[in-house]
Amino acid sequence: MHSTNEILKGVRILTFTTGYAGPYAGRLMAGYGAEVIKIESRKGGLDTFRHYGQHKDIDAAPRFIECNLGVRSLSINLKHPTGARLIRELAGKSDAILENFRPRVLDKLGLGDGELRKSNPKLVIVKLPGFGSEGPKSSYGTWGFNLTAFSGMTYLWNHPDQDRPIGSQGVYPDHLGFIMGPTIMVAALLRSRLTGKGVSIDLAQIEGTAYTLGVTYLDAAVNSHDPQPRGNRDPEAAPHGCYRCQGEDRWCVISVRTDDEWHSFCCVIGRSELIDDARFVNRPARLEHAAELNAITQQWAEARSAEEVMNQLQSAGVPAGVVQTGADLLKDVQLRHRNYFASFPDSLIGPFEIPRSGILFRGMSEGPLRLPNRFGADNDQILGEILGYDEASIAKWRAEEVLT
Amino acid sequence: MSDIDNSNSLLPGFRVLDLTSSMGAFCGKLLRDLGMDVIKVEPPGGDPTRSEPPFAKDHTHREGSLRFAYLNAGKRSITLDIGKDSGRGLLLDLVERSDIVLETFEPGYLSTHDLGYEVLLERRPKLILVSLTGFGQDGPYAHYKTPDIVGTAMGGLLYISGDPKLTPCNPPETQSYYYASLFAAYGAMLALWQRETRGIGAYVDASIQASMALHEHVAFNFSAEGRVMKRAGSQHQHNAPANLFQCKNGWIALFVTQAHWPLLLKVWEDHAPELDDPKWINSNLRRAHADYINAQVTSYTSRFLKEDLAELMQKNGIPGLPVNSPSDFMKDPHIQARGFFSTVTHPVLGSFPQPGSPFMFDGKRAAPSPAPLMGQHNNEVFCGELGLDKKYLEVLAADGVI
Repeated sequence: MHSTNEILKGVRILTFTTGYAGPYAGRLMAGYGAEVIKIESRKGGLDTFRHYGQHKDIDAAPRFIECNLGVRSLSINLKHPTGARLIRELAGKSDAILENFRPRVLDKLGLGDGELRKSNPKLVIVKLPGFGSEGPKSSYGTWGFNLTAFSGMTYLWNHPDQDRPIGSQGVYPDHLGFIMGPTIMVAALLRSRLTGKGVSIDLAQIEGTAYTLGVTYLDAAVNSHDPQPRGNRDPEAAPHGCYRCQGEDRWCVISVRTDDEWHSFCCVIGRSELIDDARFVNRPARLEHAAELNAITQQWAEARSAEEVMNQLQSAGVPAGVVQTGADLLKDVQLRHRNYFASFPDSLIGPFEIPRSGILFRGMSEGPLRLPNRFGADNDQILGEILGYDEASIAKWRAEEVLT
Repeated sequence: MSDIDNSNSLLPGFRVLDLTSSMGAFCGKLLRDLGMDVIKVEPPGGDPTRSEPPFAKDHTHREGSLRFAYLNAGKRSITLDIGKDSGRGLLLDLVERSDIVLETFEPGYLSTHDLGYEVLLERRPKLILVSLTGFGQDGPYAHYKTPDIVGTAMGGLLYISGDPKLTPCNPPETQSYYYASLFAAYGAMLALWQRETRGIGAYVDASIQASMALHEHVAFNFSAEGRVMKRAGSQHQHNAPANLFQCKNGWIALFVTQAHWPLLLKVWEDHAPELDDPKWINSNLRRAHADYINAQVTSYTSRFLKEDLAELMQKNGIPGLPVNSPSDFMKDPHIQARGFFSTVTHPVLGSFPQPGSPFMFDGKRAAPSPAPLMGQHNNEVFCGELGLDKKYLEVLAADGVI
C-alpha cells in the first residue's frame, strides 16, 4: 500500500531565486508536493543558470533543469507597477516566499516584507542571502565557492603540510543552503499555522556554512590555536585513508578503528601474523605506527579493484568504500535499491536520470518530480485561476510587457 | 502552544528523543536550534562522542570533548541502558511524551530490542521516527559500516575533491554526517507538517550515501552529458578566473563570470593589452585557457593584502573573498556584528564563543547554550517529568540502568 509522498500538497510558495541554492530549495519542496511558482522576467530578471553552457533556448540549460524540477513559471516584470501589484496580490493567496536576491532588491520594488504581508499576515518569508540581510558586508557579492573560502573551510580542506590551499571546485555552501532553507521554511510554516502570524527568516549562507565547522571554532577558541588541515587522517583510526587501487584513478577508503576491526582486517589481507605484532597491538600503538600501516594497506589495495577491496573488507565488518565517480553512482546497487534516480526519458536536453532525495518515508513512494515548466508557461493559469483575471486583462498585460 | 509568541525560539513546544551517535547528533542540534526540547539519551557509560577529539587543553575527559560540546549544545542529557528491561520501559515512557525519535543504530537494532517503529507507535500514536544510517534501512549495503570518509567516498564528493596530482581529499570535520543529518532534519519537519495537517505519524529513512550523492551535479553530469567530473583543486569547471589566487599575505578566492570580466579589467588598470581582445568575454574561452588567465591574474593579485584586495573587488562589483583561517573568520567584523557567536559558560570547559542558531527570525537569533554534562538531567526528567521516586532512581543507578 504505497501512497505518493505529497506532504506539502496545498502549500503555495512564490520563489524569487537564481543560481543553485535558491532554485534547488524550491525543487526540494516541489518534490514533496508544494506548488512552487518561480517568478522571473526577461526584463532583467532571468535565473542566471538559464545561461549556463551553450544553449540558445533559455529552457534548455541542463543546470537550470536540474535545479528547477517540478517548478511552475510565471514571467512578470517586477519593475512595472502592475507587475509588482500582481505579485502583492499573489502573495495574498500564497503561504510563503523564498528569495535569494541581494538584500533590499525586493524592498526597492515595493515588495518588502511589510508590503507582501499586507493582505496576508500569515505569510512566511525565507531569505537566503550570501552574507545575510544585515551587517557591514551584506551587500557583498558571494558565490558558494568563495563563501567556502571565507568560512575557513577552504583553508582546512587540504592534505597536511601543503605549501598552498587547495580547497574544492564545488559550492558546498549552496548545498547547505538548499537543504537548510526548506527545513527552516517548514518550521516557519508550522509556526505560522500555530500562531496565525507570519515570520521572516534570514538564513545567511555564510552562517549555514560556518554551522558545519563549529567543532573547529570551539577548538580554536578553547585551545587558543589555529586548527590545521588534516586531509584523510583521523586521530582515532589507523590504518585510515584513501588508497590507490587497480585501474586508472581508482581509489578505496579504508578505516580501522577498533581492535575487532583490526583483527578482521589482518585476516582479510592475509596477514594474521600482524595481530600479535607489538607495533599494532592496540589503537594507540597503531596510531603511532600509522605510516607503516598505511604502506601495508596501500600495497594490498593496489593489487585489487576498488570494488573488491570494499566488498571483502565490509563483508568482514571493516569499514571501506569505493571512491565513486558520477558513472559509479548511476550503477550503484544500493542507490538503485532505494529507487534513488528519477528517470526522464524525454526532455529538451535528451534523456537523463537525476537523484531525488537523501530521505525515504516508509510506506510512501517518492513524490512527483516533473520537468520545469517552460518560461512563462503558467502565466494564464496563475493569473486566471488563482487571481481571477479574465483573458482580456491578461492579453493587455502581455501587450504592455508586464508579462514578459 | 500559546507560548510560541513570547519565546525567542522559532518553534518551541515539541520534544525530541535523540538516541544518535555522532553520526546523527547534528540533526538533533538543528532541531534544538529550531526551538525544540531535545533530550540526548546516552548509554550509562556516556555517548561515545564524549571520547572523540578535539579535547579542551588536550585532556581526555568525558566532559572535555569539544566535538560533543558543539554537537550537543543546548540539549538535555539523561543516561539510560535501553538494552535492559527497566531501561526499555523508561524509554517507552519517554516516547509516550515525545514527538520525534532520532536514532543511528545499525538497521534492525531497535527491532531486536523490541523497540521497532510499530512498538513505539503503540505507545505514542502519530510518532515520528527518524533513522539515519550510512546506506538506509535495507538493501545490499544496509549493513556496511560508515565512518565519515566512507560516506563522502560512496556519495561521490571525495572523488572530485582535492588536487588532481594528489590523493582525493576529505573535507574537514565529518561533513557527510552533517549533511545527511540536515536531510534527516528536513524529513522530521516534513513529517511534523504531515502530522499537523493530516494527523498521522511517519518513519523517515535517511541515508548518508543518498544525501551526499546529490552533490555538485556529479551523477547528473554523467547521466545528462556523459561527463565524469574529476578533481580540479579549486578551479571551477565553467569559469576562469574562478580559483584561489596568491596575495602578499595569503590567498583570495575570486569568481569572475562574463558579467564581472569587464569590471575586473577596469579596476586592473595595467593589465596586458591582449586581455582587451573582446573574445575573452566568453567564459568558456577563458576557462579553456585557464592556465594563461590565472597566471595573468596572479601577477595582479600578488601585489595586495588579501583583505584589501577583497574589499577592492567588492567595491567594484567583483565577488572576491579572502581565504580565511578559522580564527580569521571568527574575528571578522561582519560575523561579529551579526552576533553569530555568543559566549557560553560550561562548568568544565569554561567560557568561550560558540555559534548560535544558523538563522535569524524577525531580526532575532536564538543564543546558544552549553552542552549538558553526562546525565545532568536525570533527576529533572526521570523524577520531575516521569514521576519516579528518587530512591528508585538510586536503585536504577546501582543496577547500571542509568
